[in-house]
Amino acid sequence: MSSLKRVQQWATFARIWHIYDASWQNPFQSAGLLKKYLMGTYKPIYHPLNDCGDHVVVINSGDIALPGDEWKKRVYFHHTGYPRGASWTLAWQLHKKDPTLVLKKAVYNSMDGNLQRRYTMERLHIYPDANVPADIMKNISNQLATPREVPKRLDHYSEKEVEEFPKIMDYPKNYILR
Amino acid sequence: MVFTTAVNFIRSRGPDEFWRKRKIFKLAAHFQGRKRNCYSITIRYVHRALVYATKGRKLKKVDMANLWEQRILSGCEQHGVTYPLFKESLSRSGVMLNRKTLADLACWEPQSFKALTDIAQARAAQDGLNVSKSLEPPSGVVTRGMIK
Amino acid sequence: MALQRQGLNLLRRISIHGTTFTNRTDVRSYKRWVAPTLKELNIRTKKIGDTGEVKPTPRSSFLEWNYDAEVFAFGKRLGEEFNQDLLRKALMHKSYVNLQELQGNAVQSDGNTDLIKKGEDIISKYIQLELSKKYPDVIVQAIHNYLTDDNMLSHVGVHIGLKDIILTPEYPPETATIANTFKAVVAALEESSSLENCEKFVKDFVLAQLNGKEVFDIWEPEQPYKYLKGIKSDIEPRLCNQSAAKTILANYQVGIYSNKQLLGLGWGESVDVAKDMAALNVIQKIYNIK
Repeated sequence: MSSLKRVQQWATFARIWHIYDASWQNPFQSAGLLKKYLMGTYKPIYHPLNDCGDHVVVINSGDIALPGDEWKKRVYFHHTGYPRGASWTLAWQLHKKDPTLVLKKAVYNSMDGNLQRRYTMERLHIYPDANVPADIMKNISNQLATPREVPKRLDHYSEKEVEEFPKIMDYPKNYILR
Repeated sequence: MVFTTAVNFIRSRGPDEFWRKRKIFKLAAHFQGRKRNCYSITIRYVHRALVYATKGRKLKKVDMANLWEQRILSGCEQHGVTYPLFKESLSRSGVMLNRKTLADLACWEPQSFKALTDIAQARAAQDGLNVSKSLEPPSGVVTRGMIK
Repeated sequence: MALQRQGLNLLRRISIHGTTFTNRTDVRSYKRWVAPTLKELNIRTKKIGDTGEVKPTPRSSFLEWNYDAEVFAFGKRLGEEFNQDLLRKALMHKSYVNLQELQGNAVQSDGNTDLIKKGEDIISKYIQLELSKKYPDVIVQAIHNYLTDDNMLSHVGVHIGLKDIILTPEYPPETATIANTFKAVVAALEESSSLENCEKFVKDFVLAQLNGKEVFDIWEPEQPYKYLKGIKSDIEPRLCNQSAAKTILANYQVGIYSNKQLLGLGWGESVDVAKDMAALNVIQKIYNIK
């Protein structure tokens, strides 16, 4: 094999590190997207037996947004194995305990249960905020587009922007704003 | 059993045990533990393995079809064409490649696959197929519409 | 093993003769005698220490060996018209002549030494001429050396059927001997027909060995970047892309630019390797190597 062929192979199977900003994203929708990169199914060289999955670094997992009233209604079940060892944790409780777990479980459950799943999960790195270790930051070479646009909250607008925003009507002078 | 000669009648006490079992042990040569050494256990697992093999012959075809689909899909995604649009445009252009070939091209001949997606895009743009984003016919593809 | 095989054949023959009274071969059943017989044969083989290794026997030691027919068929097989005397001379080595003279046999030839020299020249010249139409001198020399190597020529020689018709004391003939004979055969062909025909022969059998080979499989500069710098001085490498930099699977992409024009790209596990590979890519383009 000539050295050109060797590096061609090296580049074909190179691991890419992606970064994904999870703030305001639906974790279950994100799971489907992240799965594709973690397993490498987005590459035409994909084969279940070839190790072509990429790494994904997820930041701001503390700021995920669950749809509807899922924070209150979604329940995570756990059983210790002992009698009366069952426990049910609500999504908001789990999120309070560990802000990475909801997303992690969403990705884990989105994949088929086979021997590869746990190794694939090893390539997912979730951080609750934007503080990522420098060594990991240096690996990253791509940013994944988020499926949802992050809405801008009113308190993020400057006073001037609010002032200049086109109004439909003016309040009457004697109208009392609470 | 009817025997025409007396000699056979004397000799026929059923088939030789060794050869009968060897046939089964040969199939179990790659098993582990007692599954390969103890006949009564071996025969059970050999039967099971043969059943798996029978089912596997069909599953293999399904698996391969899934893999081809996956590869074509990812190839299309890279070049910004959806899979249904890709198939429709190719068949309209008279490119009668099956999924196996398309998958092989996507995996081993990325440049040729790119050419196919270009053709598909050009055809889609020419026929005004329902495409979400407006497609510019890629350079290097000459369509009949351009000649007129 | 040999003993075992003989024994088995013997047994088969006996069982066929026995059909007249037991009618055994008509019965489709397990042959019960096979296992014990094989066991017994195995025990006997082990006892006498037969390792089953068979020394290669020259085809010429067989009873029906006809050297004249073989030599005649050799040329016909290749579709070439050989002068039979010349071909015989090309196949006869000096060492064989010496041996015959030592044994007191009269041999009219004095070996193929001069033909070897001549054949070598023809092959060498033709290969260089053909390759220089396409490649620069460095590459021509490298490919020439690869093709005229003893291993390569003997590979060709064995596969056109030289092994058994070479006249030499050693058997099986050594690599160098087969290679030399091939050269002599080429020279014999040139004298039998024409140089043009002979060159076609070399093209078919020697140049064709490049099929499926890339130039970089055979020739590669030691330090590609330095080499490229020697050809083209106004180049500069730039890091275009990198991924997984802090891991063992680091991958870098380096591009080589000249006058803000991208000349070639290369990948590698380190920036230096990627730079060299990019240089190779540029060399590939400059020399028009496929």
